[in-house]
Amino acid sequence: MVEILPMMAEGFQNAFGWANMGFICVGVTLGIIFGVLPGLGSVTALAVLVPITFYFEPLFAIAFLVGINKGGTSGGAIPAILINAPGTPEAAATALDGYPLTKKGKPEKAMKTALYSSVCGDTFSDLVLICLAAPIAAIALRFGPVEFVTIILFSFTMIAALAGKSLVKGIMAAALGLFLSMIGLDPVDSTERMTFGTLELFEGISVLPFAIGTLALGSVISQLFDMREKPQEDLGEKIKSVTNYKDDNRLGFFEFWGTWKTILRSAFIGTGIGMLPGLGVTLAAFLGYGSAKKASKNGDKFGTGEVEGIQATEAANSAVVGSNLIPTIALGIPGNVAAAVLIGAFIIHGVVPGPLMIAEHGVLVYSIFASMLMANVAHLIIGRLGINIWAQFVRIPKAVVMPIVILLCIIGVFIPTNSMFEVALLMIFAIVGYLMRKSGFSIVCLVIGFLLGENFEIYLRQAILMNNGNLGVLFTSPIAVFFMAMTVYFTWHFGFKKKKPKNTTDSQKSASAK
Amino acid sequence: MTRLDRRAVLGATVAAVALMGGMTAAKAEYPEKPVTLVIPYKAGGSTETMARVYSKALAKELGANVVVKTRPGAGGAVGASEVAAAKADGYTLLFAASTSLMWPPLTQKVSSDLDSFIYVGQITEYQQAIVAKADAPFNTMAELIAHAKKNNLNFADQSAMSRSYINFIGGQEGVKWTGIPTKGGGEMVPFLLGGKVDFAYSGGIHQKYGDKMNVLASFQAKPLALAPDAPALGDLYGVSQLGNAVMFAPAGLPDDIAKKLHDAGKAALDDPDFTKILENIKFPKTYVSSEGLVELATENEKALKAMLEATK
Repeated sequence: MVEILPMMAEGFQNAFGWANMGFICVGVTLGIIFGVLPGLGSVTALAVLVPITFYFEPLFAIAFLVGINKGGTSGGAIPAILINAPGTPEAAATALDGYPLTKKGKPEKAMKTALYSSVCGDTFSDLVLICLAAPIAAIALRFGPVEFVTIILFSFTMIAALAGKSLVKGIMAAALGLFLSMIGLDPVDSTERMTFGTLELFEGISVLPFAIGTLALGSVISQLFDMREKPQEDLGEKIKSVTNYKDDNRLGFFEFWGTWKTILRSAFIGTGIGMLPGLGVTLAAFLGYGSAKKASKNGDKFGTGEVEGIQATEAANSAVVGSNLIPTIALGIPGNVAAAVLIGAFIIHGVVPGPLMIAEHGVLVYSIFASMLMANVAHLIIGRLGINIWAQFVRIPKAVVMPIVILLCIIGVFIPTNSMFEVALLMIFAIVGYLMRKSGFSIVCLVIGFLLGENFEIYLRQAILMNNGNLGVLFTSPIAVFFMAMTVYFTWHFGFKKKKPKNTTDSQKSASAK
Repeated sequence: MTRLDRRAVLGATVAAVALMGGMTAAKAEYPEKPVTLVIPYKAGGSTETMARVYSKALAKELGANVVVKTRPGAGGAVGASEVAAAKADGYTLLFAASTSLMWPPLTQKVSSDLDSFIYVGQITEYQQAIVAKADAPFNTMAELIAHAKKNNLNFADQSAMSRSYINFIGGQEGVKWTGIPTKGGGEMVPFLLGGKVDFAYSGGIHQKYGDKMNVLASFQAKPLALAPDAPALGDLYGVSQLGNAVMFAPAGLPDDIAKKLHDAGKAALDDPDFTKILENIKFPKTYVSSEGLVELATENEKALKAMLEATK
């Protein structure tokens, strides 16, 4: 313990240099820009920019990438808020309350809420990483397939919170998502499932064309058709005519902090999900939103432009960013795809993440920690300045913005894979997204079903294989039993307790049975 | 650039263009445009990282830009099929594990196989192994087999191929164990260290864990460079997985271009940046020429087929 302090002091000292600060600021700025562009997110940004960093000093390289990751995770909220086209799947739930606020003429207020919540969640998660990496990583090792199955099962109850007007349609959308996640080679036997011999489908439908197609491009197409039908409804014009724009967009201290419990809860959820390898940012966002809707007294108003809804989502998804480095640094296991790319970057700089990292590169690790905290400050300042710029975009007529967004969606899907097949998938899912929007099916539920479906299958099959076909194992681990109990409680809460027609309860049961 | 130089360059260009008109394109000095190096895996992995740095060294040797393009899917088969279908002019190359080209044609319907390619050269060897937790009740391959005869063991695999190998060994020794599919090293490590599985296939990630993991056997024909005491599956059971990163070109490449690529590919290995990155990711530099590779691959493919027959 004694030798940690001087290491920490030296590490922090190294990080507080102008050069390092410069790299962090550039990283955060690039991250936000990549996040804002629909289709490109922090993962693409990291993958594209990692090779450049090979020629930087290790600390600068990693600080730069950490900045990108932070900026990228919050940047996705901006198109979700401004044009209802989430740039990344983790910002899907941000659009639910963010876009209604824009429609009310308060886009800046929504963006400020998103940014401040992101920075809060992120800082909380960084502090947990810095103070508790080693002990928490030991807990993370207790989680295996059995525990993951029950966490995902529990997450399916969030469909009820995110379904919008019709729970039945929400469940149907999630079921379609589950079905789509089954396409590809069987994870155990490698037999082809619904691939029709297409090589590109062997690994299943990729997340990027699916999420960008249904969430962003589908929304853009839907808005384009709306403009044709009722051309008078142009937000830019409407916002220009709002006389008390400045006052409307002010975010008061108490207005933001009055719901500190929501921010803290989401930060907690995000940090918890982040430290478990293999669960992902989007799950954290959905859980944050869902549990806030359940716990908050404003819960019923979620989806109509509640500041709290944005807080719940953004604090949760940004809290993943710090804590997914807990398994990375303590165990050398990536917490998610972004962390996997970061591990690649660590390795090319001769820093091998894992149990030996703190012993071998202690000073560098603490410099990285310090850089993460500095990046949060940079994120707050740069993000806040950015809002002034992004707000101008709302004033540009949609007829100009939308075609550009379509182009960006296509580029974003093409870049990581160089595949026209993926672009074709993007188009198909954009049409699916459009049709579902128009017929009142929840796109967010479709995305939940798809993203969780793949992991649910593999963890369930691993759990069964490990225990020689015995499903009883789902009730032997205390962690698993806890999440099973939560599943039952949430199902009861959402299904029975509400004063809703009785068909709601029936379909709710079938949701949790999946 | 002085005026004289500029004029000389201009003159040379005009001459070159005039000459080219009379010659076929293949006879023009290769390379005259950027070369594309296809990586059939997702960005961010160790092969892709390695290839990015290697491409810079290769570019220096060839005197032309080398553009890295990721084309992931179907365990490498999507990118491989694309390169196989490309023109054999030396401008489209593939950088991949040779098993990514060998295994899919044996088990799935894909449009390319090993005959669709020629080898440019082997760059490095993966450090594939059978590993166990350091405090497991067995420390050697023999002890593992003895333990498995008395207990039901689980192992983590990372592909149908690695599972086939381990099940083949089980068949040879008369023990039965259960393969748990995982999505790669990132998932295998917590399973192994968390005690969810008894032993595991590792593609090389075990090297990050120092004394927390124990190498029981090399998955390859020979013992691993970094764990020389553990026996090799090749020696124990006569089967092994060819674990190497190789640069390929589509079959039918003209000989002069193949030679140029071969020489440049070999020389690029000595690039200081590339040497440093191999050291950092703890991969040995093991160059094998194209002739040597043909022999290795033919042998390995035979063994793979025999093994597939035995485990069916």
